[in-house]
Amino acid sequence: MFSVIFKLAWKNSFLRASRTLLVIVMIAVSMSMMLGISGIYDGMIENMADKNQRSDSGDISIYAKEYRSQKDIKYRINRAKEIREEIKNIDGVESTVLRVKAEGLLSTAEKSSFASIIGIDLKDEQIFGKFSEFLKDGEIDFKNRGALIGIESAKKLKVRIGSKVVFSTQDVNKEINSIALRIRGIIQTTNINLDKGAIFVNIQDASKFLSLFEGEAMQIAVMTEDNAVFEKIKNRYPYLDVKSFLELNPMIKQMQDMTLIFNSITFFIVMGVVFVGIFGVMYVSILDRIREFGIVLALGMNYKYIRAQIILESLVVGFLGYLLGAVFGAVILIYLRDYGVDFSSFSDALEMWGYEAIIYATIKVSYFTATFIAIITASLLSVLIPLKKIKKLHPIDVIKADV
Amino acid sequence: MIKLQHVNKYFYKNEAREIHALCDINLTIEDGEFTLFSGASGCGKTTLLNVIGALDTIDSGKIFFDEKEISLLSEDARTTLRLNEIGFVFQAYNLIPVLSVEENIGFVMKLRGFSDKEIKKRVLEISAMLEIDDKLKSLPNALSGGQQQRVAVARAVAAKPKIILADEPTANLDSKNSQKLMNMMRELNEKEGVSILFASHDELILNSVRRVVKLNDGVIVDD
Repeated sequence: MFSVIFKLAWKNSFLRASRTLLVIVMIAVSMSMMLGISGIYDGMIENMADKNQRSDSGDISIYAKEYRSQKDIKYRINRAKEIREEIKNIDGVESTVLRVKAEGLLSTAEKSSFASIIGIDLKDEQIFGKFSEFLKDGEIDFKNRGALIGIESAKKLKVRIGSKVVFSTQDVNKEINSIALRIRGIIQTTNINLDKGAIFVNIQDASKFLSLFEGEAMQIAVMTEDNAVFEKIKNRYPYLDVKSFLELNPMIKQMQDMTLIFNSITFFIVMGVVFVGIFGVMYVSILDRIREFGIVLALGMNYKYIRAQIILESLVVGFLGYLLGAVFGAVILIYLRDYGVDFSSFSDALEMWGYEAIIYATIKVSYFTATFIAIITASLLSVLIPLKKIKKLHPIDVIKADV
Repeated sequence: MIKLQHVNKYFYKNEAREIHALCDINLTIEDGEFTLFSGASGCGKTTLLNVIGALDTIDSGKIFFDEKEISLLSEDARTTLRLNEIGFVFQAYNLIPVLSVEENIGFVMKLRGFSDKEIKKRVLEISAMLEIDDKLKSLPNALSGGQQQRVAVARAVAAKPKIILADEPTANLDSKNSQKLMNMMRELNEKEGVSILFASHDELILNSVRRVVKLNDGVIVDD
């Protein structure tokens, strides 16, 4: 029985081949566009989150209590080096870094600006977040008081590679100290705070400049894929301010939520189009073949088999549309993941908001599974009204209409 | 055996244009009959065929198919009865356009759950008898009217129903093809023992059948 139903469904699906193919192509194009848009939306946020994690907070950041609100170096982690070693041994921790930070004034001969000096260990930062990838110009070199400056600060202070700058701040003894630095490189992290107001120096130089004791730091950042690590650290160091990435970056969390809403709206619009497309084809196809359904009912085919045939026809159209859409979508997503979309003409505005000028797409399996479920559901829903029409059909009406 | 007792059928009941299509019909059709319902257009012969075939309902009376009362059956049960017991030959052939001749002939057998082997054997047998065995792979729209009607007959007879109901089977055929079709129908009736009921006013059928039931304005006037 199933073979005859399947044969009828398959052959009838392509009875009006151009009409069916048009709907299949419409589903495929809508779906692939939707996948592309979803990939870009998610890619924008994930890229921003990734850069923020790599350049600053990691998955977890640890500070002394009050440091984040006061930004005063008196709120520092005293045993930072030891604590870092302990954290390194927690299962699931991938990498860690120590950072020394202080707020102050960055000056050139002509201009000055508020900035943060950040002492980092280049080797650790490379493992932690591939720091060298942030280099926009010059070289990464801290020798002879070399420093790296954020791209927006460099623009603001009109600093070039080789320029001399002076950073002034209070040390831990409340003494005003200054340090002359030579700009060796300009970095761009797309982390607004760093690009607009950070100057990176060697961690030892920074510690010395701020008169910190051995092993003291302002931040320990941790990279981990294991969600349990956060709770472990929090429980182990209740006297420290342990924050997750999203707690430190609520804006990114909001943007993720907004992206989810945008993607959902796009998803429902596209699925609406798919539904209307399949519904239109199925409705017209059934109206075209109402006589045929009357005849098979007259010959003894039970309504449930006719229903199965119509559902199968709809699924054939939906599934072929999905398959083609999945292939198109995958090609688009792979292209967008590898080559991105170049928004260079809007780079200033985008970078100001922490986006990169070239946005690369993300590919998630959930794009394909959610679309599959939605298209199959749309296919099933689209035949409800046509099936109602068939249910009301009496074979005698068709037979009489023939005579 | 089919038995009709005081069967009445109306169209547009309780409307000004009401038609009493079948008036108190009492009729018995024995197994193996080769019978014609004849009469002028609108006399009720097609309606009679349709109510016997469980395609149409009646307003009063009883119709027994063997011991089963058709008028009491649900829509699904009537569909099953049509599938298992009755073969139909429609005036307009009503073949399934997307299926080949072979698939059309085997369609009812497939619905009834015959194996592919049985279907193939039966299709070859019937198509040879009806001289359409060279058209088995063709689609219906590639056949002439006569050939399509023979496919419809083949489909009706393939699953070995108890009775075949043929409504104006020769209406779209020329005299040569009509004669050929009637010869085949008689052969099927004699060889396979299938009861065949015709509704027609064709003289050719009138001269071929063993029994004629004449209707006029929904009333049996001669049997």
